[in-house]
Amino acid sequence: MSVHAPILAIAVPLLGGFAVPLLARLHRKVRDLWVLLVVLFVGVCVGYVAAHVFTQGIWVYVLGAKNPQETLAPGGFPIRIMLTVDAMSAFMGLIAGFIALVAFPFALKYIPEEEGKTLSLTLGILLLAGILGMAYTGDLFNFFVFLEVTSIAACGIIGFRTWTSRAPEAAFKSMLLFSVSGLFFLLGVALLYGEYGALNLAYVSAQIRGSVVDRLSLALFLAGLLMKAAAAPVHFWAPDAYGEAPAAKALLLVVNTQVSLYGLWRVLFTLYGGLSDAGVGWLVVSLGLLTMVVAALMALVQTDLGRLVAYGAVSQIGYMMLGVGVGLVALSGRPDYGFVAMQGGVFHMLNDALTVGLLFLCVGAVEWAKGTRDLRALGGLGHGLPEVALAFLLASLALAGIPPLNGFASKILIYEGSFRLSPILTAIAVLCSILLLAVFARAFQGAFLGPRGEVEGKIPWVFLLSIGLLVVGILVLGLVPGFFVEEIVTPAAKALWQGRALYLAAVLGG
Amino acid sequence: MEETIKIFTGHGYWTPLIWTLAALGVLILAILLWSRGRREYKRGTEQELPFLSGEKAENPRVGAPHLYWGFVEALRPFLSPLRDWHSGLINDYAAWFLVVLGVALLLLVV
Repeated sequence: MSVHAPILAIAVPLLGGFAVPLLARLHRKVRDLWVLLVVLFVGVCVGYVAAHVFTQGIWVYVLGAKNPQETLAPGGFPIRIMLTVDAMSAFMGLIAGFIALVAFPFALKYIPEEEGKTLSLTLGILLLAGILGMAYTGDLFNFFVFLEVTSIAACGIIGFRTWTSRAPEAAFKSMLLFSVSGLFFLLGVALLYGEYGALNLAYVSAQIRGSVVDRLSLALFLAGLLMKAAAAPVHFWAPDAYGEAPAAKALLLVVNTQVSLYGLWRVLFTLYGGLSDAGVGWLVVSLGLLTMVVAALMALVQTDLGRLVAYGAVSQIGYMMLGVGVGLVALSGRPDYGFVAMQGGVFHMLNDALTVGLLFLCVGAVEWAKGTRDLRALGGLGHGLPEVALAFLLASLALAGIPPLNGFASKILIYEGSFRLSPILTAIAVLCSILLLAVFARAFQGAFLGPRGEVEGKIPWVFLLSIGLLVVGILVLGLVPGFFVEEIVTPAAKALWQGRALYLAAVLGG
Repeated sequence: MEETIKIFTGHGYWTPLIWTLAALGVLILAILLWSRGRREYKRGTEQELPFLSGEKAENPRVGAPHLYWGFVEALRPFLSPLRDWHSGLINDYAAWFLVVLGVALLLLVV
């Protein structure tokens, strides 16, 4: 069975998600057990795939062939549907698997039955399947299909609270913008298919020579994926979406944004790697800076704790774009600082998932205890919810990049790498971190400090378990960053930086 | 062991070990200073009430929007256009997508 781990990581949640409503008819506990089993199984699969890829190299899995390693059909053409998992894909899969393991137990308790818990769980599992599909696929059209799976599931989750006015509006905006970005992405795929008659990412990459059609497709991919990744000035949907989705599911939406960013890296480094263009790199860097500045400033004036965290999450997308963008600018010469910045950008994806994830869980716990997220009505919750207060403080400090936490470990790589390209980039990034510290100090003061605030009931132990897992993750990544950078971040960054030839060889041979 | 902690940044390296030890030192110093403080404080008494111009306020909480009020006011010239930019109108959002697409096309095709 282990031979089929990459496809099982996608197929089990895809089918398992649709089984949730059926099992809910038997008994709620059967449904809950099934959800946990599916998520646990996915966790084991992505862990196994990552261990295999980090030790033995790229794992290509072909569907429809007698042998799953048979990449080329008779005639030497890669026509079958294919999963191509390199270190970067495996890294992305690990993030998704871990966050799912934390988010679903929380969601099982957090979402009330009368609010349509079964449908919410179904959408969450389908979103997980789509995320893993985007991370593992080696086929452009399948990437689009999984992009759409994530869009549909995400919109369902965003607009889940139909009885409020804001959630359906946020879902409508997201749905429209996702549709536009998805269609432009599909147009890009269609142009490449028309030119090369193939959809396999490695094959098309080997054929690309930089024609006008190739460049037109790249522009379409860029615009579509930047929108889905919530980069400014096309980030508008994200704060609404993160803010309105149930907190337990906002974690998955964050990973959904990250996997779109992963798609952008895959397109820029692997598909168009042979056409390394500093201009595109500068575009990514500029939009990264714009994203962090705009989101940090907007976070400063939020009065809803959920929206404040949502803007904080968007600002972190800017740091990832800055790190990897610097690598893209430097790709043709491949200086050391470019790789350091890329390590930082890639490492920050993992750190962002943990810190922003923890902040959203804390927001969920506050909403559970107080029934509101309005900072004007909150206060003094640190007395009744000391564990949540400490976790929120820890995640806030990590997000702002305060040493020795994990956010600092990745940001220092981004700062030092980008400094060599231009000190102005680093100065803006550091200023935004200071601004974010001010924003989250304000949120912490507003929600948790002051005279004792009344709290309804106790926080369920499963909330504390999920929060505790993320706290441990943040501390471990912050205190022993060398191990993680060496074992998983460096291989993932290398897969983008200089792994294109290996990626193509794994599929096309030679 | 050292390799699991240290990360190399190109210019040098970052190790959280030294920073954590320094932070522990500062924490111990803070606890020592705190332990030498006055001991009349009693929980649950009037001492817990904040002193607001000598008045006993019913809800003496300083809400989050009041924090950094001056700072936010100073940034108002930048923040107001930003808030207007986030209009909530889907037409505006779709237009910005076209702007990004236009820039990408200019950069790559023209």
